[in-house]
Amino acid sequence: MANPNNKKALETQKLKLPFGIPGHNLTEIEREAAADEPPALPINEKLSVVGQRVKRVDALQKVTGAAKYTADIQLPGMLYGWFLHSPYPHARIKSLDVSAARKYPGVFGVIVQGHEAEQKDSFGGNELPLLRYAGQPVAAVAAESVAIAKEAVRLIRAEYEPMPFVVQLDEARKPGAPLVYEETIEDKGNAGDVGVKAADEQKGNLRGPTTRSFAGGPRGDMEKGFAEADVIVEQEYRTQVQTHCCLETHGLLADWKQDMLTVYASTQSTKDVRDELAELFALPTSKVRVITEFMGGGFGSKFGPGYMGVAATWLSKLSGRPVKLMLGREAEQISAGNRPNSHQFLKVGAKKDGTLTAVSLLSYGTAGIGLGAGVGRVAQDMYVCPNFKMEQYDVFTHAGPGAAFRAPGNVQGAFAMESLIDELAEKLDMDPLALRDKIDASEIRGVQRKQGAEKFGWKRKKAGSDPGPVKRGIGVAQATWPRFVEMDSSVMVRINKGGSVEVMSGVQDIGTGTKTILAQVVAEELGLKAEDITVKIGDTTYPDALGSGGSMTAEAITPAGRNAAYQARLKFASHLAAAWGVDAETIEMKNGEVLSSSDASKKMTFAEATKHMPTSQVLATASRSANYNGFESGQWLGHGRLGAVQFAEVSVDTETGFVKVERVVAAHSCGRPINPMQVESQINGGVIMGVGYALYEDRIMDLNTGHHINTGLDTYKLPHAREIPQIETHIIEHYDAHSSTDASGIGEPANIATAAAIANAVYNAIGVRIYELPITPQKVLAALGSI
Amino acid sequence: MKNPSEEQRSMQEEKGVSRRAFLRGAGLTTAGTVALSTGLLSFKLESPVKPPAVLGPGEVAVRFVLNGQEREIWVEPRTTLAQALREHLSLTGTKVVCDRGSCSACTVWLDGKPVNSCMALAVDVAGREITTVEGLSQSGTLHPVQEAFIEHDATMCGFCTPGMVMSCAALLNRNPNPSLEDVKSATSGNLCRCGTYPKVFEATLAAAKKMKK
Amino acid sequence: MNRFEYVQAPSVKEAIDMMNSTVPEALIKKATSPAYVVKAGGTDLLDLIKEGLVEPARLIDLSKIPGLDKLTYDNKAGLQFGPLVTIAGLENSEEVKKNYRALHESAAHAATPQLRNMATMGGNLMQRPRCWYFRSSEHKCRKKGGFTCYAQIGQNQYHGIFNTNVCPCVHPSSLATALLAFDGQVELTGPQGRRIVPLSEFFLSSEENVTQETVAESKEIITNIILPPVDASTRSAFVKMGQRESYDWSIADVAVVLKMDGKRCRDARIVFGAASSVPLRREDAEALLKGKPVTEKLAMEAATKAVEGATPLKHNGYKVKLFENLTKRVIMQAVAVG
Ligand SMILES: Cc1cc2nc3c(=O)[nH]c(=O)nc-3n(C[C@H](O)[C@H](O)[C@H](O)COP(=O)(O)OP(=O)(O)OC[C@H]3O[C@@H](n4cnc5c(N)ncnc54)[C@H](O)[C@@H]3O)c2cc1C
Ligand code: FES
Ligand code: FES
Repeated sequence: MANPNNKKALETQKLKLPFGIPGHNLTEIEREAAADEPPALPINEKLSVVGQRVKRVDALQKVTGAAKYTADIQLPGMLYGWFLHSPYPHARIKSLDVSAARKYPGVFGVIVQGHEAEQKDSFGGNELPLLRYAGQPVAAVAAESVAIAKEAVRLIRAEYEPMPFVVQLDEARKPGAPLVYEETIEDKGNAGDVGVKAADEQKGNLRGPTTRSFAGGPRGDMEKGFAEADVIVEQEYRTQVQTHCCLETHGLLADWKQDMLTVYASTQSTKDVRDELAELFALPTSKVRVITEFMGGGFGSKFGPGYMGVAATWLSKLSGRPVKLMLGREAEQISAGNRPNSHQFLKVGAKKDGTLTAVSLLSYGTAGIGLGAGVGRVAQDMYVCPNFKMEQYDVFTHAGPGAAFRAPGNVQGAFAMESLIDELAEKLDMDPLALRDKIDASEIRGVQRKQGAEKFGWKRKKAGSDPGPVKRGIGVAQATWPRFVEMDSSVMVRINKGGSVEVMSGVQDIGTGTKTILAQVVAEELGLKAEDITVKIGDTTYPDALGSGGSMTAEAITPAGRNAAYQARLKFASHLAAAWGVDAETIEMKNGEVLSSSDASKKMTFAEATKHMPTSQVLATASRSANYNGFESGQWLGHGRLGAVQFAEVSVDTETGFVKVERVVAAHSCGRPINPMQVESQINGGVIMGVGYALYEDRIMDLNTGHHINTGLDTYKLPHAREIPQIETHIIEHYDAHSSTDASGIGEPANIATAAAIANAVYNAIGVRIYELPITPQKVLAALGSI
Repeated sequence: MKNPSEEQRSMQEEKGVSRRAFLRGAGLTTAGTVALSTGLLSFKLESPVKPPAVLGPGEVAVRFVLNGQEREIWVEPRTTLAQALREHLSLTGTKVVCDRGSCSACTVWLDGKPVNSCMALAVDVAGREITTVEGLSQSGTLHPVQEAFIEHDATMCGFCTPGMVMSCAALLNRNPNPSLEDVKSATSGNLCRCGTYPKVFEATLAAAKKMKK
Repeated sequence: MNRFEYVQAPSVKEAIDMMNSTVPEALIKKATSPAYVVKAGGTDLLDLIKEGLVEPARLIDLSKIPGLDKLTYDNKAGLQFGPLVTIAGLENSEEVKKNYRALHESAAHAATPQLRNMATMGGNLMQRPRCWYFRSSEHKCRKKGGFTCYAQIGQNQYHGIFNTNVCPCVHPSSLATALLAFDGQVELTGPQGRRIVPLSEFFLSSEENVTQETVAESKEIITNIILPPVDASTRSAFVKMGQRESYDWSIADVAVVLKMDGKRCRDARIVFGAASSVPLRREDAEALLKGKPVTEKLAMEAATKAVEGATPLKHNGYKVKLFENLTKRVIMQAVAVG
């Protein structure tokens, strides 16, 4: 990640920026910043657009059905694609004959995975890749309708030689288990957690151990740490595989023309899709245009073009027609990503006063045929402890590949760590909050604990002490998430004669509200309203920007947006100053007006003022610059973590095992909240996803046939309206003085603590702990000893 | 290559069954169904006592009222209402997510009642009234539920939104005074993975209040 | 979905006649696929066709047949409703709400509001099981004419706990539980005319016939559903439990209908849904209640009796406890609703 701001990097300025938490410890701090950075932005209270509950700029299109998602786009002559999927979890394809499919009326293209360019009718013997999970794509067809494509797929004759398979984490770990890979593989498919390095050992289906994350490696002396402990708690935890369930399935519409490949993609990264397709098809990136105006959910699983995107592009190239290939729901659930499961052995030693002396973690997880099932960062990073060690293993199974999923690793890890900390508190006879006050060095989480507890009315009774069959309980848990910075994020701002303003960037809005916060920072800079700004994003025609992941988007794109608006404003002001005969420094823009502080007669509306521009447009492009306070490591990890504390209240029916989450108080910080209303929405979303993870969601594999059997949205159980607790969000503004907007992310931190808080509340309700997610009626009744 | 739908049509013609059969408001005559043989658009009523027409499997004409306007489309009987709306009528506001009745993203109103368009055949709605999300805000004025969704930030990615809006607006049509429980019940079939539910509840209750004024 | 012909039946008679007419060879996909299939709301049938489990050559649409959507109640004849009455129609009927509380509750908690507007009661009783192996075209299970029951050896956490030897699929209708508790009957009309079948004989257990869930023959359609009248002594309650409250397939549902003389129970019917391949009456438990004042203790005894003989599978033992506790609750609720 190069610093695109290098030209001016040498010239610097000193900025006095707000620092700390308003109402708590707000001060100012001086930071050195590049000379072309805009002046310090005051705290939200003093601003008119940033920090306001501005309505989503694209909400109108969404509520009227006018918003066009990839799935909605129809081009003239467009074909529809469909896949043939492997019926076996592990098999060799002995022969494959696609001739009948090719000849079927309405079919315009057939490709075989890995042999796309070979337009043969039959493939034999060992030509074709080994199939490693049931549902793996084998071949694809493009036809005039989905119905015809499906019919043609059924005409493909395939002969398989089924092989032994393993789909269960524990079984796959055993010596002699059927191997998913015979050889050590490249880091392929990544479930988003710390990469298991290509260098890591691979033995049987086990890959690892990974002992490091970007937060560092082992520290201290474990033996000494545990020897010093007055109390040791140790437990085994299990979490399930969770599927993303994006409402819009993965897919892409490829329109291959001689001079340009245009792609409409349901993606979290227009840039990644472009770069990968350009590389695969040996095109210059300038000849690939990727458009994502609206997309229906990604949650970490939609970065590159994916196998479906590659297939659509091939089919378009071969047929000469646009090809839309959206996965069906079943394929979406099986092959478009998931959060790996985990089996964690966690051990914590502490002194009588709570001080941690040692934390050790051993974990296994499977991302199916992919990698990235590590869970260790929460144990490693959340609390102060001098002695720490982790060993994380990825375990291959014959199941669909994992993909990054909203706070990869941390969600699994927090369930274990925060459950165990709760158990430790009980052993030490301490309140869970008091223990955390002792062992947590994070200032912001301290404030969140205090204010959150007040809002929640934190007062625990003895676990399981409620009379009657339905028992209430409360619990708390915390989150930590790194502050990643992606500096390859640029924005262009264009002021047009007549007063319209455009903000343009390749960045996409995945539902988090990126369009709106860009409009806000630009409007604030130009003294306009958010609705005055036309936002054009999600198109690689515009300046490149980051993929929406890692909770980095607001952090990366709003400074770029503000900086571009500031540069455009400077140009505009200099033209005006010349026209008005005043000093450019005196020009102010506010409330839709432009004026000169040195000459009261010089005042007009923004629109009028643009008439003084010598050209029809004034434009500027700017990038995310380096953090004012530097980086923790390398160039991409900002100082300080994003923290959160969540409180949950549940009721548990001890006769049926039915758990209901009644209430959640979520105390969060994301630096400067650009749009508190959208931040609330993100927190709600994270909490609800956490409720699903805690109580309902579970990918179920049939062990005898190796099939994922609950691919329906009725059998893969997601929270719906009646499962939604009363959620109270508590957003704490937290100025850290690290960029021109000082914004940070929220999407992932919002999803980390919920399941653990619920699990702790369930314990408080019934007095028995459940160590495995999801907490189903079955598990509750079992834990209570009723069955 | 021959256009398959043409092929299907000619196949049907060979069978000699009501060549381009036309299916209109069922239940409009005692026979319920009326078969018409075509010279293109000149529909001639056949005797209603004849056995009901066997339609398809090729394309048949279906006429219904869509967002207040009478429309006619040619679809195979196997075409779902959702497909017909999205692919034949380019009304892509109605979304298909599960295609199985499990998510309600495809909610439209059939004679004023919310139904899943993915689980209905287009031929089933002949002669009936369909309202889609596009039809909710005709002539430029938004339905109060749509306004409230914007005001209260009840959309995130927005893919579930049309279905949510149709569920909530239908609720207010039949119950102008809903409780939070009523809103939850009305949206209990609507899946939102982004988690807009709290704001959907808030918006719908606010819209109800506003509509009463 | 495969290509099919479509015909709207104007009357019951014509619907049945149409089953006798021939269908073009070319449309018959496989030897096993039916020449025709009747459709009402389509909410189950379309699912089956989309999955390729049914590949009909012709769809006979019953949904426009006049008169089949009527619901009437009177003190003598009881409740009668046509097969096209929707679940929402039952849910919103004041007569049902007043007189057949358990049925109302079962309707109000079935599926989603959208589906309740579409799903008919005829279709509800005729819907196919929701076992995930049965619903997967990749698993040729016994119910689909295969030799293996994947559920018995596989993931059976939601499957049956009674009579699980052949196929532990549970009947998917949660309304049938209440209908059987009210001693309902079904009128079937076929080429040979009409017959009335009590619900207690309508459903076929998987032991009786693994590929078919009811006694309705392929050319018979449901033309009426009848519940005997209730009187002032009737009390009823229904509880359905899924993993979620919003909408979910039952893990367990229980309907109880009592006739009470003051505090004393004169007659009782207890039915389990999602416990077996048919809605299951628990007669031994009913007998325990009869003639006695219903106390919490007696209700618990009856509940324990009701789960006697359960033969749960590897992953669904919890359902036994669940049914037991729910039964006690539903009995007490029935007594309490007055
Ligand atoms: C997401 C989801 C959740 C659901 N939850 C529940 C639930 O909680 N409880 C519950 O009980 N059900 C539930 N259902 C099932 C639903 O109630 C049924 O699909 C519906 O009742 C079927 O009625 P239909 O009119 O749509 O039937 P169709 O789909 O039209 O037909 C179903 C079957 O019945 C046959 N049939 C239809 N009418 C007749 C007739 N008059 N005579 C003879 N045969 C006939 C058809 O040939 C077909 O085989 C759920 C369904 C879905 C998709
Ligand atoms: S798409 Fe129709 S209910 Fe899901
Ligand atoms: S807003 Fe994204 S699914 Fe509801």
